[in-house]
Amino acid sequence: MIRTDALPKARGALPYAPDVELPGMLWAVYVTSPHPHAEIRRVDTAGAREVPGVVDVLTAEDLPGLLPREPEPTRPLLATKVTRFVGEPVALVAAENLPAARAGASRVQVDYRVLPAFTDLEREFPHWPTPEEMRSHPQVNAHVHARRGDFDQVAHRADHVHRERYQTAMVAQVPLEPHACLARVQGDDWYVLTTTQAPFGIREDLADKLGLPQEKVRVEGTWVGGGFGGKNEALLEPHALLLSRRTGRPVRIALTFQEEFLFSRTTQPAIFWMESCLKDGKLVARRTRLLLDTGASLPGRDFALGYSLGFTLGPYRLESFELEGYALRTHRPPFGPHRAPLAPQCTFASEGHLDSLARDRGEDPVEFRLRHVWRPGDRTALGQPVGPFAAEAGLRRARETARAWKASAPPGHGVGVALGFWSTGTGAGGEARLTLSPEGLVLLQGEREIGNGSIWQGLPEVVAATLGVPPAIVSVRYGDTAHAPFDSGVWGSRTTAALGYAVAKAAEGLRRELERRAPGSGPVSFTARDGALTVAREGRSYPATDLMTPEERAEGGLRVEAKHYGKNEGTLEEGLVLEGEMFPYSDLIASVHVAEVSVDRETGAVKVLRYAAFQDAGKVVNPPGYRGQVEGAIVMGLGTALTEEGLLDPEGHLANPGLLDYRIPTLSDPPPELTIVALEGSLGSGVWGSKGVGEPPIIPVPAAVANAVADATGARVTVLPLTPERVSQALRGGARDPGGGRR
Amino acid sequence: MTGEPPLTLRVNGEERTVPEVAADTRLLDLLRWRLGLKGTKEGCRTGGCGACTVLVNGESVLSCLTLAREMERQEVTTVEGLTGTPEAEAVQQAFAEAGAVQCGYCTPGFVLALVSLRREHGASPPDLPTLANELGGNLCRCTGYYAIVRALADLLGVPVTSELPKSTFTVEPGGSP
Ligand code: FES
Ligand code: FES
Repeated sequence: MIRTDALPKARGALPYAPDVELPGMLWAVYVTSPHPHAEIRRVDTAGAREVPGVVDVLTAEDLPGLLPREPEPTRPLLATKVTRFVGEPVALVAAENLPAARAGASRVQVDYRVLPAFTDLEREFPHWPTPEEMRSHPQVNAHVHARRGDFDQVAHRADHVHRERYQTAMVAQVPLEPHACLARVQGDDWYVLTTTQAPFGIREDLADKLGLPQEKVRVEGTWVGGGFGGKNEALLEPHALLLSRRTGRPVRIALTFQEEFLFSRTTQPAIFWMESCLKDGKLVARRTRLLLDTGASLPGRDFALGYSLGFTLGPYRLESFELEGYALRTHRPPFGPHRAPLAPQCTFASEGHLDSLARDRGEDPVEFRLRHVWRPGDRTALGQPVGPFAAEAGLRRARETARAWKASAPPGHGVGVALGFWSTGTGAGGEARLTLSPEGLVLLQGEREIGNGSIWQGLPEVVAATLGVPPAIVSVRYGDTAHAPFDSGVWGSRTTAALGYAVAKAAEGLRRELERRAPGSGPVSFTARDGALTVAREGRSYPATDLMTPEERAEGGLRVEAKHYGKNEGTLEEGLVLEGEMFPYSDLIASVHVAEVSVDRETGAVKVLRYAAFQDAGKVVNPPGYRGQVEGAIVMGLGTALTEEGLLDPEGHLANPGLLDYRIPTLSDPPPELTIVALEGSLGSGVWGSKGVGEPPIIPVPAAVANAVADATGARVTVLPLTPERVSQALRGGARDPGGGRR
Repeated sequence: MTGEPPLTLRVNGEERTVPEVAADTRLLDLLRWRLGLKGTKEGCRTGGCGACTVLVNGESVLSCLTLAREMERQEVTTVEGLTGTPEAEAVQQAFAEAGAVQCGYCTPGFVLALVSLRREHGASPPDLPTLANELGGNLCRCTGYYAIVRALADLLGVPVTSELPKSTFTVEPGGSP
């Protein structure tokens, strides 16, 4: 079935957030810090106010009287005494038009005193630090330490300890549509129209940041031009609302691509020290030490470290393990989620390490994985039972493919395999409202479609299949957060799977209600006639709307509501020694990928020629949507693997904040041959046994490519992305970083 | 903003005169904010993504890099003007059917670029590799391009050739319960 939003989008007929306007609207632009770390001595806005067309200038000084509650000093809406990263908002200028706002912004004078900046994790920490060093380190945001057994003792008894150091780069989501919003405050109604994956999340965030009760904040989503994790948090909305409050006019803010790179939230560099112990050919223990750059993030909101650390163990049976990590506050842009946050990076380290261990021992890396991979009934390192999980099935298929490719590939090509696992956000809740009305079956949603098809196509398909009718009679209508039922948002690969559950319950409820109301006693069936739901029982059929009461008719239809709040099953294991916070997994999802590459030995350029993805699907709800997610995620992952890297110059400025130098894949980059197999049967807790798909297929991509490069050349590249320079360096036998212990 | 001269151009077949167009106004902003044609999307503003593609005298240009004043007496066509023509409908339909429209932010740019490529060559339409090559400046972050290449192939009625991105998708039993 063709998605009904496709043609209107192709005709340019659907409005996105950067397209919306209101009469009397002001344009606001940011004045941002040019320094990664500086004291602000004075902000002089007089020059800006003189620019014709400038209506208002907002600085941190204006905030206290304006907000219902003092802003938290740890989470400033605008920089007060110091700036903590290049691009941090210091002031905003609102004007009648964009040129005037820009001219005004250029005339805001900020007197900075530059302070020493911490922007380079590698320079700051050439080695894994000692506990003493870290105890007093001012930049530690979070520390996690978990272990079972005594790693050092196991290592002592081991036949072999494999040690490596891995490093990953800053990467950005780069949706083609930059952030934009339009705010209008009227009395107690704080209304904002914005491009977001999570209108209810933004509402909560706004209420928190502005000190307002949630009922006063009204968020309306627009069509979203790509999210990938970058549109979950209130970024521009607080400023637009405050300016609207002050000026009494609607206010628009839209980021340029450069600003998008500088101050939206994204993935920052990480360094992994990996150690694995072998005893009698068996992997018995692993230790990971992780330093995670969380940019100018603030303490107390750090899920990233505790969540990602577990992925560095891989889905393998281990007798003991140790995980330790520090999240460090640096003077880089703040950290934020990006499609399976940090999992591609963790898996690059974990699966690269495993691959190199197996190769060093002369064993086939896939066989090695098969000997250790979790099977249903095993326990995860954290002690949770492993439920349905298609990792083993995926590995078997990958083994077959890798062998066939190896046999048919020209000499010099390499074939690599990697296994990524993920746990979906099915624990997050959602509610559904389905209305049988004269216009058909209508679902009311807070989120607009963000591109993956989950809202626009996945949910209607769930309704249709539950009733046994074609999806065309189900439509989606949008409402703001004051009108639509609550949902956690389009993130964590959860929407079709978890919100779909609530939608299926609502459709089930409607079916039961109609069965109860339909005269007669035989079985009831549903069909669609002229776009309307039709009920048939005992040879008689009539429009379902005939079964509505007069009150329902007056209120627009028969409304059925349902909720689904999944639970994150399980607790962490008792025997686990844990400092800091770690999180239990919900559904486990495997992605097993195979890559065939060629490597130019002169230049170090890597080309991916064939690629296969075996995905643990549970159950595929929306086949074209599923396929689109896998294709898109793999190519995005190839960007992370090969070209994407936010680079800082020596002064700590992002050197490539734009598409010309930060290279995302183009039409000529994807592998010419891609095989996608969705393996059904290891059922998840989503609707019909589905598991999420938005994130899992990006996870093993960088590792699969690096493992293929190692297969082709014998050289292991341990730093992302695999640029030609890094590959040639590895080919020349360049420093193979030792991993492991304290210095 | 006063004292700037007006600009007269043809947009989507109609003559339009826009008062007070500053020398540094870009065509993208003129179309979107002075003429209300928001189907032309604003992406990178630096010539790197193709989302802002429009036709000037039938040739595709990046409106973010084009000064509005250079359009004096020129013929500009946006997605709004092209929609409804058989060439545009064919491209739009092919994209929709192939699943090449996810978030859709890149799609109008692709449509304009493609229509101009196909028109340029008149009787001997470019083959699939040529089309794919010429679209190298149009970025898409959602689809990974596989569906876009499928749409191009469908449009030409040819199979996807070996060097271009092509995928297969199957759903199979195989997970363990
Ligand atoms: S907006 Fe013009 S090329 Fe990106
Ligand atoms: S469909 Fe989203 S950028 Fe192409």
